[in-house]
Amino acid sequence: MSVHESATPRSPADGDPVPTATASLTEREAWAVLQTANGLGPVGFGRLLRRHGRARTVIEIAQRPDGARALVGAGLPGDDLEPDEGDDREGARARRLDPEVAAGIVTAARGAAVILEQIAKLGLEVMTLEDQDYPTRLLALELPPPVIFLRGDRAALSAERTVAVVGTRRATEAGRRLAREIGITISRAGGVVVSGLAIGIDGAAHSGAVAARLPTVAVLGSGHGELYPRAHVPLAGDIVATGGCVISELAPFVSGTRGTFPRRNRVISGLSDATVVVEAPRESGALITAEWALEQGRDCFLVPGPVGAPESAGCLRFLREYHGQARIVATVVGLLEDLGFQAEVRPATLPSALDLGETEQRLAALVSDGHATVDSLVARTGLAVSTVLSGLTLLEMRGLVAGAYGRYRPTGILVPAVEARRGGRRSVTARV
Amino acid sequence: MLATVLSATVHGLEGRVIRVEVDVAPGLPGFSIVGLADAALLEARERVRGAIRNSGFAFPPRRITVNLAPADLRKAGASLDLGIALGILLGSEQVTATRGRWGLVGELSLGGEVRYVPGLLPMLVSLARRGVRRAIVPADGVAEARLVAGIESHPAATLAEAIELVRAPRTRPASRGAHPARVELTGDDEAAIPPDEEPHDGLQAVAQPGWPDLAEVRGQSEARRALEIALAGGHGLLMIGPPGCGKTLLARTIPGLLPPLDDEEALRATIVESVAARAPVQGLVRRRPFRAPHHTVSYAGMVGGGPRLSPGEVTMAHDGVLFLDELPEFDRDVLEALREPLEEGSIAITRVGRATVFPARFQLVGAMNPCPCGRTGSETEACRCPTGVPARYAARISGPFRDRIDLWVEMSRVPPGDLVSVPAPESSAAVALRIADARVRQAARPASNGRLSGRRLLAAASLSSEASQTLVALANLESLSARGTERLLRVARTIADLANEGRVTSAHLKEAARFRSPARRMADVVARG
Repeated sequence: MSVHESATPRSPADGDPVPTATASLTEREAWAVLQTANGLGPVGFGRLLRRHGRARTVIEIAQRPDGARALVGAGLPGDDLEPDEGDDREGARARRLDPEVAAGIVTAARGAAVILEQIAKLGLEVMTLEDQDYPTRLLALELPPPVIFLRGDRAALSAERTVAVVGTRRATEAGRRLAREIGITISRAGGVVVSGLAIGIDGAAHSGAVAARLPTVAVLGSGHGELYPRAHVPLAGDIVATGGCVISELAPFVSGTRGTFPRRNRVISGLSDATVVVEAPRESGALITAEWALEQGRDCFLVPGPVGAPESAGCLRFLREYHGQARIVATVVGLLEDLGFQAEVRPATLPSALDLGETEQRLAALVSDGHATVDSLVARTGLAVSTVLSGLTLLEMRGLVAGAYGRYRPTGILVPAVEARRGGRRSVTARV
Repeated sequence: MLATVLSATVHGLEGRVIRVEVDVAPGLPGFSIVGLADAALLEARERVRGAIRNSGFAFPPRRITVNLAPADLRKAGASLDLGIALGILLGSEQVTATRGRWGLVGELSLGGEVRYVPGLLPMLVSLARRGVRRAIVPADGVAEARLVAGIESHPAATLAEAIELVRAPRTRPASRGAHPARVELTGDDEAAIPPDEEPHDGLQAVAQPGWPDLAEVRGQSEARRALEIALAGGHGLLMIGPPGCGKTLLARTIPGLLPPLDDEEALRATIVESVAARAPVQGLVRRRPFRAPHHTVSYAGMVGGGPRLSPGEVTMAHDGVLFLDELPEFDRDVLEALREPLEEGSIAITRVGRATVFPARFQLVGAMNPCPCGRTGSETEACRCPTGVPARYAARISGPFRDRIDLWVEMSRVPPGDLVSVPAPESSAAVALRIADARVRQAARPASNGRLSGRRLLAAASLSSEASQTLVALANLESLSARGTERLLRVARTIADLANEGRVTSAHLKEAARFRSPARRMADVVARG
């Protein structure tokens, strides 16, 4: 067994012979190939391993000319149950490997070379249940994913504190901003934000962490090769670049479907100590994540929206249904305290030479205080519109302000810093 | 007997002098018109026949041939009616005329009234150029006709009046007593009858006074500034904002911000109005055109064409502003057709045999919602558009089209608090003054800032090395193409002109960059779909 060998699978392009025979497959590669078999879930995967000992053996059998029949014939051992004669036919069938799954395994085994090449081409690492650094939070789940394909630094998965921040794809601007702020503050407080890389709340939470240049974990609802949504391909790159990682339990070529996203949500909550839902309409996938969190015995927080607002209707209903279990987010500072962040919040690191003029400093302070429109900046400063506009461009060039849809928001180090210890008082400081 | 008179038609925006030759010969009674006449012209036979009979003359029962020269020119419209009728009366010796050259322009009714024809102004211009010194024109078009110097325009309300003007002193009486029986079925009040054939082209009233003043627009300082820059430099402008944020109101202040037309422009604008109008022009058009076609406008309505080859919205907006509200709702073909005039300043309409070029140097101002439901960017509501719909909506404005818009501005609804706290906004008069000044400064350059490019633009900008660095940094920030960078520089040039500065500085460039970033956001939305 090659648990501690290099996580990077051997690439055929490296000059090695193309691994068609099992001889050239390492055990890790065999796990990876088996994971991509169509129809094989964590339960079947575990049973196969118990039956045959090693993934390589399974692949070996599958690669034989009569592979499918051999796999079905070998059957699956009943969990600790000796097959007895009185066993009814249904029980016997349940322990037999489904022929369709066997066919999936055979297909995967025969295409092993192609699969491994894809993994190599995408620069993915393969992490298996047997790895020492397999995240312990996932191990605690009922059925942990046997294999995780990942890109980036896997240390983020096992950070001391991890918090999932999820929500609707159709978020309001206020919701996005809150998600971003939570993303930034949790990261600065030393936590790692876990989310699903979706448009809307997920993306905002990730980008908060990325803006703070701190690691965050994105769990895909598709394979790495079919990354969805395409608009977030650059964000995924940024996540890897800032020390975070992007993971998926799905084969690289699997595209996201109805079923894959809820399955992904289980991993999001499973990787996290707590799950925070920012905005969720009724039937939102984010609520599935929250339910998983409760089921997995983790904390679950929801941001209550106004009664009647469709964007928050799901959060409110969830809070009502899970009264006593689900908790609410009242302020960002309060959330941080409830999450148990006792450590002093890391102060924002200010680059020494920001090179801002007096006008820009005033504008930066006002934007940081929530003055979002040019109208209100002009009214507050008495400056000419043209001066305000060129000042805002400079702040944008310095990465301090981002404008969208006629409103300007602080970003990067200009986002109000939160000091967790001060009993919920939020101190807004634009230190520039 | 053969009679020859001069008349005119209009082709595109040009008047064409037509020689009308009428031969009234013995033979079987008949009436034919030769010389590439269109359907409306062929129907002149019936109008002329009725008009002559109902004016107290006899329609000669002879073989009548009308030839329209030059023979190779396609002739359209009813402006030759008066000439043909007079030719027949002269040819049948019912009327004798004084010698001299007359130009005769007008459509006839069956009752013998002379009606206004569109394009009267260019027709008279062409007659005057041919050396014609006297003309008879429809009575209600006489003000328009008299705009042309060097030709004496006499009004005629009826065919009989026209004949009085050309008649030689000694002739026998026009009629032998009473007029033939005449039945009036139309009533006396002409105005009560709806005008014929008024195609619905969705035009909003344009020539009316009472445009809103900029002082009525509260807040929106960013968009106001964008509008000022756009009008000062002749740049294309696109306003993006939710319904009710004031896009249309802002656009409707444009007529009050534009400087009046100079003499040459005014004559051209008046000719366009004359050709396009359904009513006579009352005087020289001095107000800069502001056209706001509805988004249901047809292709022909936008670029020009149709049976009469009339100028479209782009031509009517020549030297002025074309405002397209709800930009993505326009037909894609209609929008794409705007690319040629935006680039060339003119539009060519090709028909069998010949192409007509209309002037179309307009400034484009567009407005659109951020997404079909209008909620994107809202503080309190989430966008409810189905997945992919906002991208498709944005993609209706094609990349090449987006490339031709210099200034982009996003607007949000003004919060009620800002409505009160914002200082009283400037009035149109103050802004119009700055715009006019900036335009004067551009007069020294080869073209207005909106049309400068390449070396001429760089020369006009005369960037310092610091400003050049800023330009590069901004181009990187907004990930601008070469074309986009040029647009940024162009806008910065206008900002400098508004500030009365000779060189473009980094401050100007940075301000100009504000009006580029929505373009990038929109490209992102399109890419997402």
